[in-house]
Amino acid sequence: MTLQFANVLVFLGVGALFIFVNLLIASLIRPSKYSEEKLIPYECGENPVGSPWIKFNIRFYVFALIFIIFDVEVAFLLPWAVVFKELGWIAFIEGLIFIAILVVGLAYVWAKGDLQWVRPEERYE
Amino acid sequence: MIELKYYLLISAFLFSLGVFGVLTRRNAVNVLMGVELILNSANLNLVAFSRYSSSGIDGQMFAVFVIVVAAAEVAVALAIILTLYRVLSTVNLDRADVLKR
Amino acid sequence: MNLGNLDSLTFFYPELILLGGILLVVISDISLKGLRDRVNPLLTLAALLLALFYTLQTDHGSAMTLFEGMLALDNFALFFKAFMLVAGVLVLLGSLHSEELAAVHQGEFHALLLAVTLGMLLMANSAHLVMLYLSLELVSLTSYIMVGYLRSDRLSNEASMKYILFGAVSTGAMLYGFSLLYGMTGSLDLFAIRDALLAQEVVGFNQVTLMLVVVLTTAGFGFKTAAVPFHFWCPDVYTGAPTPVTAFLSVAPKAAGFAILVRFFLGGLSQPAGEQWGFISGIDWPLVLIVVSVLTMSLGNIAALTQNNLKRMLAYSSIAHAGYILMGAVLLTGTGLKAMLVYLFVYLFMNLGAFFVVTVIFNSEKTFELQDYNGMFRRSPFLAVAMSIFLLSLIGIPPFAGFLGKLYIFGAVIDQGLYWFAVVGALNAAVAAFYYMRIMKHMILENDDRPPTPLQISPLNRALLVLLLVPNILLIVFWSPIDRWTANSITLFGGL
Repeated sequence: MTLQFANVLVFLGVGALFIFVNLLIASLIRPSKYSEEKLIPYECGENPVGSPWIKFNIRFYVFALIFIIFDVEVAFLLPWAVVFKELGWIAFIEGLIFIAILVVGLAYVWAKGDLQWVRPEERYE
Repeated sequence: MIELKYYLLISAFLFSLGVFGVLTRRNAVNVLMGVELILNSANLNLVAFSRYSSSGIDGQMFAVFVIVVAAAEVAVALAIILTLYRVLSTVNLDRADVLKR
Repeated sequence: MNLGNLDSLTFFYPELILLGGILLVVISDISLKGLRDRVNPLLTLAALLLALFYTLQTDHGSAMTLFEGMLALDNFALFFKAFMLVAGVLVLLGSLHSEELAAVHQGEFHALLLAVTLGMLLMANSAHLVMLYLSLELVSLTSYIMVGYLRSDRLSNEASMKYILFGAVSTGAMLYGFSLLYGMTGSLDLFAIRDALLAQEVVGFNQVTLMLVVVLTTAGFGFKTAAVPFHFWCPDVYTGAPTPVTAFLSVAPKAAGFAILVRFFLGGLSQPAGEQWGFISGIDWPLVLIVVSVLTMSLGNIAALTQNNLKRMLAYSSIAHAGYILMGAVLLTGTGLKAMLVYLFVYLFMNLGAFFVVTVIFNSEKTFELQDYNGMFRRSPFLAVAMSIFLLSLIGIPPFAGFLGKLYIFGAVIDQGLYWFAVVGALNAAVAAFYYMRIMKHMILENDDRPPTPLQISPLNRALLVLLLVPNILLIVFWSPIDRWTANSITLFGGL
């Protein structure tokens, strides 16, 4: 028992060493020349435009929320799929009903205009 | 093999942390994070008990349901926080005090 | 008898009808643009009435479990199912002509009302910790949205926020208790849990853990029933929510909370011992709940004394009534349980009635303040008399239905020899009389200088008021069917 945890400790130690030793070696052998260009944040080679601390559009949140709900519902389908062959047709029909209920939810979101980036009518009074 | 009690200790720690967060935070979103910790501590318990007992996978099944309900709960809570923000322009719970008269 | 999945469906019509109703309301809301405001209430009403019809038709012979032991179908569950559906119908009718809700689109409101009713039906049936948790969350999540339904209203939003944060924490604590119980007994089925506890074949069984489980789960149930240490959300939420929603919350989810509390503690943690039930471990759990009950009614009544907002006053009054109802549950006897059911039944009509009068007055006056009720008798004698009857019923004055509830509850308590408990209850009823009378005094005796303009009441609202008045007046005469029905309804699966 304790010995098994010793393995974990050794792993932690080696992992920490790996990081710090590499950084140490790098700092010893690299040339140290700073310039304005090198100090700006790295954005895949482009020069950044504006501050990174902007407010994101609230629409991102709505999409994320809708995605999360439908994504998590799939968690129910996974155990269903595992035993699907043993249960046969009844399980298939049950799964279809479950998905049909979700489709009504999706249709609701669609009809309310929440799947478009700009909503057709703002309903918030 | 790690013993059951370590899981229980961690889950009790998570639960306490969640309750602490709920009681001390004034930002509604942070309170919600505390709630998530509470729910996940229960999940950890359920899965650990299910793994260490001979009762099948009941506990793991329960945990899947809890995860789904927690997602729905957060969706509703965030929507409510958002509408409150539209009205109040803040999510600080101390500012939501019109009802205390 | 345990039924499998497909066989259970024949006993599951009410729930299936409600589910179909939810989907139809959503579909009609997004497809019928012009007609939907007329079709949706009718669809909702039809679904509720049809479900009620099938609930009353259900002939199940003896108690049994459905869906491989997930749900228990017994007379106790049937009582609560009928109760929830009646409450749903009354609240739906009450919400139709409400100015508060008229300001916003109501399609979602009807779908939510059906969803919350479905959740409560399942709550009354649950015999498995997973179902217990899921149905509780279904009720909670939908009622959070219903409370915050007036999106641009600051009070409604605040109430909703408080409700969801309180609710999430209490159900989280309850879930943690469930997980400990699962760890101790190795099962999620309530009856298997009881058998495991009885056999003492429990891993790590000890009094402290079991007490922890009881405390944590009581947090969840206490939140739903608004019992005292978990009642802080209640006045704020009831004040902020749209009045029809407040009326609904103060009756139906509260009753569902009591159903689930009885099922968990009596079905899962107690064993039948003759007429009485014994709690499984040596812990004096009933004493804890007796203290909770005393605190609940005293605090509710005392806090109600100083309120000037009628909604808030009725919120505290509903906390106090939860205390009375709990009196019946903690006795652990058949008589106590029956008294609880009778009280809930009369409480449905008197409390919905009182809130409904508040809704009607708000429609034309736009106020909940008590002094604005001055001179109401001269402006609308019908409304003032109706409110007085509901209030007298809430006090428990003899000719009205509320007296029946109090009679049964106090009778059951005295039956058990808990005289001090009955005295505390009676003292509370006397305190409560004071603030209920205060409302009546403002409505009938006090007049302001303004000339009395008659108050407009829509015909539907007038009819609904009469519908609510009838049981309040007549139940005391025709009490024997209620007596028989509730006496029949205390059969719990695996119990009495």
